[in-house]
Amino acid sequence: MATDKELSDFLKSIEKRAFKRTVYAVRSDDAALDIVQDAMIRLAEKYADRPPAELPLVFQRILSNATMDWFRREKVRGAVMQNLSDFEGSDGEEFDLLETLHALEDTMGTESASDAVSRAQILQIIDQQVAELPARQREAFLLRYWEEFDVSETAAVMGCSEGSVKTHCSRAVHALAKALKAKGIST
Amino acid sequence: MSTTTSHRTDRRVVEARLGNRLASALSSQTLSHDVGERLRVAREQALSRARDVRRVAPAAAGASVVAVSARGAAVLGGFVPWWQRAASMLPLVVLVAGLVAIDQFTMREQVMTAADIDAQLLSDDLPPAAYSDPGFAEFLRNGPAP
Repeated sequence: MATDKELSDFLKSIEKRAFKRTVYAVRSDDAALDIVQDAMIRLAEKYADRPPAELPLVFQRILSNATMDWFRREKVRGAVMQNLSDFEGSDGEEFDLLETLHALEDTMGTESASDAVSRAQILQIIDQQVAELPARQREAFLLRYWEEFDVSETAAVMGCSEGSVKTHCSRAVHALAKALKAKGIST
Repeated sequence: MSTTTSHRTDRRVVEARLGNRLASALSSQTLSHDVGERLRVAREQALSRARDVRRVAPAAAGASVVAVSARGAAVLGGFVPWWQRAASMLPLVVLVAGLVAIDQFTMREQVMTAADIDAQLLSDDLPPAAYSDPGFAEFLRNGPAP
């Protein structure tokens, strides 16, 4: 059973990512804060007796459900389904991901003043591009690379197969790399 | 063949590295003070709710144990011995047995009553066929003629 401190530390560790992830989905800071608060309370009420190791997966499921509940309440389900079915990826386009990777590593790894400015710009561009990803791709990308879940955990949270998770992640990374390249971020 | 597999693996490795790099860029963003405060309040509310749940849960568990021991019935979740489960079925068994007994008793009463009527009819001086005679039926209704 998670103690008060363990639960507090866990919530503190995920609150920022949970908020950003929800903002990407609902496009409103206020709504995202309400949803995260709702998810935190649901976790505390029903799952506080779970071992601390189980909390991340349980919380992500609760957060996903709370977000879907919000969409249902807002009666914009049609728009969500449109996003969910938008699986158009960039599979047909082969370009060098390494270029984008090197460009990012060069810029993000340095600390000079001029680089700090371009770094902030790149962060903003990445943020925008992540927000523009199709919902399922963004969900898979954030769970897999931001929450650092493995493929099976991501599939469990998203309620889909592991193969779908791999496909969504791959498409998301390609879409982001392509968008960054279009903004001139490549070597 | 092995070149293709190796190419795929390389591609996945690059995808994973790029994904991690992009995600770490997201992590370096900072939230506004207002958002941070609202998240802190949300966290504290959740913790307070968890404390309430923990306080209520042991009390509820204790109350149900008392109820079980007082009633002697196994209604709690968890392991319950088979004889307690069987004992909880006892009232139902008694009820069914009682209904069957009442049914048998009523049936027996009806048979006995019919048998008494038959016995009286057969042992009477008047033959049973007399009751189907219209003149005798008239006699029974109006009594003997003056």
